[in-house]
Order: sequence, then structure tokens, then C-alpha cells
Amino acid sequence: MVRSRTATTIRVAASYVVLIVFAVIALYPVWQIVNISLRPADRLLSTSLELIPDQASFRNYVDLFTERPFFTWLLNSTFVALVVTATGVALASMAGYAFSRYSFIGKKFGLLSLLVTQMFPATMLLLPMYIMLVQLHLINTYIGIVVMYSATALPFCIWQMKGYYDTIPPSLEEAGRIDGASQSQIFFRIILPLAAPALVITALFSFMASWTEYVVAAQILQDTELWTLPLGLKSFESNMGSEWGLYGAASVIVTIPVVVLFLSLSRWLVSGLTLGSVKG
Amino acid sequence: MNLSPRTRHRLYLFFLVAPTFVILFGVVIYPFFYNVILSLSNMSLRHIRDWQIIGFGQYVKVFTEPSQPDFYMVFGKTIIWTVVNVVCHVVIGVFLALVLNQKEIKGKWLFRAILVLPWAVPQLIVALTWRGMFNYEYGSINLMLTQWLGVEGVQWLRQPLEAFIAVIVTNVWLGFPFMMVIALGALQSIPHDLYEAADIDGARWYHKLWHITVPLIRPVMVPAITLGTIWTFNNLNIVWLVSNAGEPSDQTHLLVSFVYKAAFNFYRYGYGAALSMVIFAILLVFSLSFMRRSKATDNVYS
Amino acid sequence: MKYLRQGLVFMLVAVVAAAAAIPWTGCHRRDDGRIRITMWHQDRIDVRLILQRQLDRFMQLHPEVRVEQLFKETEELRSGFIIAALAGQGPEIVYGPSDQVGPFEIMQIITPLEGIFEKEWLAQYDPRGLTWYKDHLYQVADKLGNHLTLVYNKKLVPVPPTTDEELVKIGKRLTADLNGDGKPDRYGLTWNYTEPFFFIPFMTGFGGWIMDDQGNPTLNGRGTIDGLGFVKQLRDVHRIIPNEADYNVADILFKDGNAGMIINGDWSWAGYKNAGLDIGVAPLPKITSTGLWCEPMVSPKGFSMNVNIAPEKRQWVIELIRYLMSPENQLESTKELFTMPTHMAVQQGDFVQGNEILRNSALQIAHGRTMPVVPEVRAIWDAMRPGYQAVLAGRVSAEQAAAEMQAMALRRIKEMNE
Repeated sequence: MVRSRTATTIRVAASYVVLIVFAVIALYPVWQIVNISLRPADRLLSTSLELIPDQASFRNYVDLFTERPFFTWLLNSTFVALVVTATGVALASMAGYAFSRYSFIGKKFGLLSLLVTQMFPATMLLLPMYIMLVQLHLINTYIGIVVMYSATALPFCIWQMKGYYDTIPPSLEEAGRIDGASQSQIFFRIILPLAAPALVITALFSFMASWTEYVVAAQILQDTELWTLPLGLKSFESNMGSEWGLYGAASVIVTIPVVVLFLSLSRWLVSGLTLGSVKG
Repeated sequence: MNLSPRTRHRLYLFFLVAPTFVILFGVVIYPFFYNVILSLSNMSLRHIRDWQIIGFGQYVKVFTEPSQPDFYMVFGKTIIWTVVNVVCHVVIGVFLALVLNQKEIKGKWLFRAILVLPWAVPQLIVALTWRGMFNYEYGSINLMLTQWLGVEGVQWLRQPLEAFIAVIVTNVWLGFPFMMVIALGALQSIPHDLYEAADIDGARWYHKLWHITVPLIRPVMVPAITLGTIWTFNNLNIVWLVSNAGEPSDQTHLLVSFVYKAAFNFYRYGYGAALSMVIFAILLVFSLSFMRRSKATDNVYS
Repeated sequence: MKYLRQGLVFMLVAVVAAAAAIPWTGCHRRDDGRIRITMWHQDRIDVRLILQRQLDRFMQLHPEVRVEQLFKETEELRSGFIIAALAGQGPEIVYGPSDQVGPFEIMQIITPLEGIFEKEWLAQYDPRGLTWYKDHLYQVADKLGNHLTLVYNKKLVPVPPTTDEELVKIGKRLTADLNGDGKPDRYGLTWNYTEPFFFIPFMTGFGGWIMDDQGNPTLNGRGTIDGLGFVKQLRDVHRIIPNEADYNVADILFKDGNAGMIINGDWSWAGYKNAGLDIGVAPLPKITSTGLWCEPMVSPKGFSMNVNIAPEKRQWVIELIRYLMSPENQLESTKELFTMPTHMAVQQGDFVQGNEILRNSALQIAHGRTMPVVPEVRAIWDAMRPGYQAVLAGRVSAEQAAAEMQAMALRRIKEMNE
């Protein structure tokens, strides 16, 4: 037993080393962005290894909220991202279940066609997409962008949900059925709670799909009042003479909600409530 | 209403799947067929409004037209790029998830928060930051190499191989957190008692990894890997930004760069559409064979 | 468990609510009965702020009109406008450098202007600001330039060089290893090596140019070869420029005082002043051996009109362009941005003539070559980039690069015009 305890100590120590090394690697470039946001006069790069720039100031952060409509972009983006997330979670949890549990005509085709939507280089879809949205009067509306983002996010979400449902033994549902539970009760009370980690991934992915998307947004949202964060950020960047200070500050702020969302959802992503304890 | 169980079941299925497919097909079908037609046409700068169907000429051009950089070389690089990236993403992601999933580790939330940063941060500025880090004289990578290790700096952005490594490093950095998050979720689907049983049998860690962990996270990882491959194959952004549109000398490109350049720089829409169809076909063949081998469409319990 | 279910039900409700709310937010675009005019441009923030002031004044004069400006990045402005205009939509006005006229004309997505603005009105403007293509006027410009000049830090360079020999002399004096690590950390000169646009002055300094009058590329000549040789010499023999620099590296070197001079365009001056540098602007030097000036490309920036303008908006669009082109508004921009106005009276007025930067800018424009508007220019940039980069990386000789540039340009042009 003594040997196994030292083995555990070594394993834990090695784990910390690994985690710290990767944390530094993950953090360093991000710290550079914080650095950019603190530098005066829009310096994208620095010629030294300094960790805090000369004449560091929070000026850019203040300017972001006082001089630019950053707050509006933040609100718009939050609205769009939440709607897309809700749509993604609702639709993917349903469709994924059907693909996992039932066999029906066109199931394989359906699953594949989901992938097909991801295989086409987005560049070439812009022109027909625009023509279509013009016909449907969806240019300059959030409904246009929500539909486009959902369509981008759903294939992965459905596949992912299906994969997770696949790991849940059907015996659990049968037990529920024997207890007299209805189909929807089984879905909501037994299956969904067990699939919580997958729901978290779906939510995060859908959120990110809209939070950072730029190309489609640039085609659809022509009105500055409707702009989302990526469009706003892009306006700091021009071919020659970008406002890197503001861009850096905005990037830092944009990152925070994602990390917070991830941390708050982590509870369900890695909770002990799930399959690990129930199954078997 | 008095419906037969069969009809009820069908309705139920319809209710589950229909909304998704309405959205997807609404969005994708029209652009897809538009592209099929475009790929058979001569739409280009001189024929933007009066384009007509010309048959398979654009496809022939895709494969035979001399190009710089060479089409087949770029194709090869795209495959290397995709394979290296996806393998690194999955290996690093799963590895970190396993490390983070140990119950002895304290401060997990902090490590999780830091490790997810590369995914959370806006890509454009981070890609340009990486480009700056690869600068020969002032980039922090070379500064560290020379000041701390005393090695000669590397001409990251000026030589083709080094530049290719630089874009891959950047993209590996950007992509591992996503796989880590998926793997963290996937690990929760493994019953603890399987490990306990294995411990009693005296199994080594690699036995447990290979016989319990890998097979049981597979159903969740396979979709992520399949789609990760498709996205990486078509991910133009990072390569474009870090290599500043193909530096050095157009040596750092992916196949999608050809599509982008054809459509946006040279207004060759017919050619771009045909090339898109080719890329589409390549990815379709890959996905079909990968899914068949990994049995992703089957339920593990059936 | 219950918690989760509630969560999901809540989400479903949210979707329904959002779906219901979306049509409302969709129409949230204010429909106040005013005529709406949109203008796309690719200008940076300080230009945008001045433009907004001018637009606000215009809207005060004409309360029935609402004008909106929208910033787009260069590539995106072009592709976005093409996509929108082909779908019968798009902004009423597209503002940018004159080279967008070529492709837009061929695609028939901009309108000829010579029938819209009278001869007398047009006569007030510098002819270089009126972009004609295939016998039609497609763009009227309010700014002239977009040109590279030699920008120097007065603290390091009291008197700017006028010839290549002086340039090398000053460069050698400035280039120094200040921290003693065996590598220079201050350079005489720097610029963006990765874009051929920045190579044009060296090409012209040795007698070259990108194309002949018919639009055929002329890259395989002495101008390219000697120009490339000259740049290599600056770096490898005289060692007055850094080993590797893109736009951002060159920019930071100059901003931090680690380069005494930079080759950069008129767009950069205001930023350097804001960074607290005491800068001067001088024409790029003359090459002694050829007796030719290093001539950068010069192009006007101006207004073009979409073909899809609704008839009821047309009159207002014209009115707006006239307003923005007026001498008062041009002078306002010139005073803050140091851009060269196209209105003759402003160009010859006291402010431009009395300002040091603008005087030198005018000199540079006089020693500049107008950028061709034909779409083939695109193909030429694309063909020059790899060769230029390969020579600087030492992979091919200048002769070889020039030949490859020419071959690639010919092929690209053929592909483009198929």
C-alpha cells in the first residue's frame, strides 16, 4: 500500500506539472492581448519580453464604453447568442434523441446530410445565401442571422447529442416504461438529466458559433444599430492604421463571458450525478 | 384524437426531427444547388451577368490548370495540415481531460478556466499575436530561444517549412480546448465501477485507458473528430492571418485559399464553385469511410 | 433532476418567445419615413468621425434624409458590394480608391456619372480626381493620394535624404547596436516588405512599371531586377533595414524610435503624430545611377454610385455627393487628416500651400504614378508577391524572380479574362 501511495503522489505531482505547463502555454498569447489593450498608441507588437508594457493604462477600456457603442454590441450579441443557444439545445436534444433511439427511413441519410452542410467552403455560399435572404426579406434582421447560426451549429450539436445518448443504456428507459412513465416523462426525467454533459457542450458550442462569427454577420447586418460584437471589433481594424488598443481591450472583454459561461456550466459538464454513477 | 400507436410514434419522431431539418434544408439546399449549377457555368469577371452552362470545363481546369502554387502540392499540404491538427487536438485534449478528471487535483476550476482561453479568445487578434511571436528579430519565440536557451533564432515566416510549422502550432493551440471540453463531457459517461473492477483485476493504467476509456468515450468523440476534420480542412482563417495570405511566396496555402482567391480576388465564380464541389466530394468520401470504420451511425448498445 | 427539466422547459419557452420576438426586432430598423441613403467606405476611425460630422450637417440641412455610413474592410467592401449589387441591393454610394472602378464597371454595378454632374461643376476639380474608364466617368474623388512617402523622425533625422546615396549615409549613421548584444536594434529605414505595393517606388526608381498602356504586364525588366537588387543591398550590404518586417513590425519599429525613417502612406501620418512623434514627410529619394525619382502609386479616393439606386433616392444621392465634395468639407478633412484635396481652389489655397506636410505630399504626388484602374492590377499584385518575398528570403535571384512574376501575371490575367 505504501508503494501505491507514493505512486499516487508522483502521479498527482506530474499532473500538476502538466497542467501548469499547459496553463502557461494557454495563457501567454492571451496575456499578450491584455498587454496590447494596456499599451498606448495602438501598438500591436512589442520588441521585448516585458510582461507589463511601459505607460500601461486602462484608457482603452474606458474609451470602449464611453466613446464607442460597445455596450450596444454587447447587448445585441448576448441576445443573438442566447437565442441561438436556446434553439441549439432544444432542437439538438430532440433530434439527437430520435437519431440515437429510433430507426426510421432515411436515418442514415439524415445523419450524413447533417455533415454535408459543413463540408462546403463557406466562401462560395455567401452569394446564394445573400440572394436567398434578400428574397425572404431577412437582410438586416436578427431572424436571418439566428437561422443562419442555428444551421451552422446544429449539425455538430445533433451528432454530439446522438453520440452521448448512445452511451446511455436503453434498459434505463425500459425500466421507466415498466414503472408507467410516458414517453415525454422518460425523455425529460431520465434521459436529459443523464445527458447533461452533452447539453453543456451543445450550449457552449452554439453560444460560440454566434458569439464570434463575423463573415455571415457582415453580409446580413448592414445597420450599425444591429451590429454584434465581431462586427464592432472588426471596425477597429482597418487595412492600414488599426486601433489595436481598443481591439485588444474589446477582445479581453469578449473573452470573459465565454469563460464565465464555461465555468458555470462546468458543474453539469463534470458532475458526478451523471451516467458514471447511475449506469451498470 | 384516436390515433394508432404507429401513427403516434411517427408523429413523435416527426416532432423530434422536423424543426431541425426545416432550418437546415431551408438554409443549405438552395445555396448548394446554386453552386452545383455555378460549377457547370462560366461565371467570371467577363461573364458575371450573361453566364451560361458550359459543362464540366471548370472541373477539368481544377485538375489540369497549371497553378502556382501547384494544386497537388497544396492538396498534400492540406491533408498534412488536417491530420496533424486533428491528431494534436484530440491527443492533447483527451490527455488534459484525463489529467483534469483525477479526483486528487485541487483548483480544477482555475485550470479549466485557463485551458479554455484559447477557444474563448477572438481569433483574429490572437492569430496576429502569434504572427508577431514568430517574427525573426522581435518575436518572443526567437527571443526565448536566443536569450534563454542560447540557440540560433529560426526564420519562422520566411522559409516554407518553418512557416507551415508556425501555422500548425498556432492552430493546435487554438483547437485543443474544444476537444478537451468534449472529452471532459465524454469521460462522465464511463461508469466508475468499471475502473474499480479493473483495479481489482490488477490492470495497469494503459490497460484501463485502452480497454475502458477509449472505447467508452468513442461515441462522443467520433462526431467531434469527424467534424473537426471537416472544419480543419476548410479552415482558411488561421493560415491566412498567420502567414499573411500565404507567405513566404504563396507556399503556405490550403485548398480553400484557392477558392477564396478565385472568388474574391479574381472573380472566377464558376471555377471557385467547381473547386468547392471537389473539396466537398473529398470530405464526403472521407466522412463516409471514417464513419463506416468507426461505426458512428450505429448505437453501441444495439 | 427537476432543476434540469425546468431548465429545458424554460429554454423551449425562450425559443418560442424569441421566435415571436424576432419579427418585431427584425422590423426594429427605424421606419421613420425618411429617405435612407447608405454609404460604404473603408476608412479608419479619424476619417469616419469627420465624415459623420459632415453627414450630420447634411441631415440638418435636409431633415427628410437619413444617411448612414458603414465601414467595411477593403476586400470585404469589394466582395460585399459585388454580392449585394448582383442581388439588386447594396449601398447607394460606394467610396474607395479608384481601382475598384475597373471590376465594378465590367460587372455593370456602378453608374456612369458624366451625365449626372455638369461639366462646369466637374471643372472645379483636379482632373486626376475624376476617374474615367472606357469613356465614362465612374468616380469623383474628394481626396488624392493614398501614396507612399518617406516619413522621418525629426529627432533622429534632422534633414531627410533626397538621393539614395544620402539615404544610405543617414541610414548607416542611425543603424546601431545600442544594447551591445551584437545585433542592431535601431535601423535607418524600414517598411512593409511583404506587399509589392511598397516595392513600386524602387521599381520606378530604376525605370520599371507594372504594365504598358494596353494593360499587358511589364514585370520582367531592369526596373524589377535592379529594384530588387537595390533592396537587397540596403539589407545585406549596407545593413540599414531590418531582416524581416511586415506592416505591423515596421510600424512598431518606427513608433518606438527604433527606425529613423519609414516608407508609409498618407494614412499613417496622423497616427504617428498621435503617438507623440515629431515627424516630417519627404518625397522618396532619387536614384543617382538612373536619375529617376522613386515614384509611388497615386490614386484618388472617391464616390461611385450603385446601379440599383431607387429612383426616389437618386436626387438625394447626387445632392449628398455634391455636398461632401464641396470645398468647405474638403478643407475640413485636409486640416485634420493632411489629405490632398481635389478641389482646385482648396488645393491652391493658403492652408495647403502653407503646410509643410501637405507641401511635401504634393511634391510626392507630382513624383507619383497614377494607379491603373483595370482589374488586371489585381493579377499583377498577386504575381509579384511570391517573387518579391522569395528574393528577400534569398531563395531565388532577382532575374529569376522577375521572369516568374511576368509569367505568373500573364497566366493570372488570362485566367481572369476567360
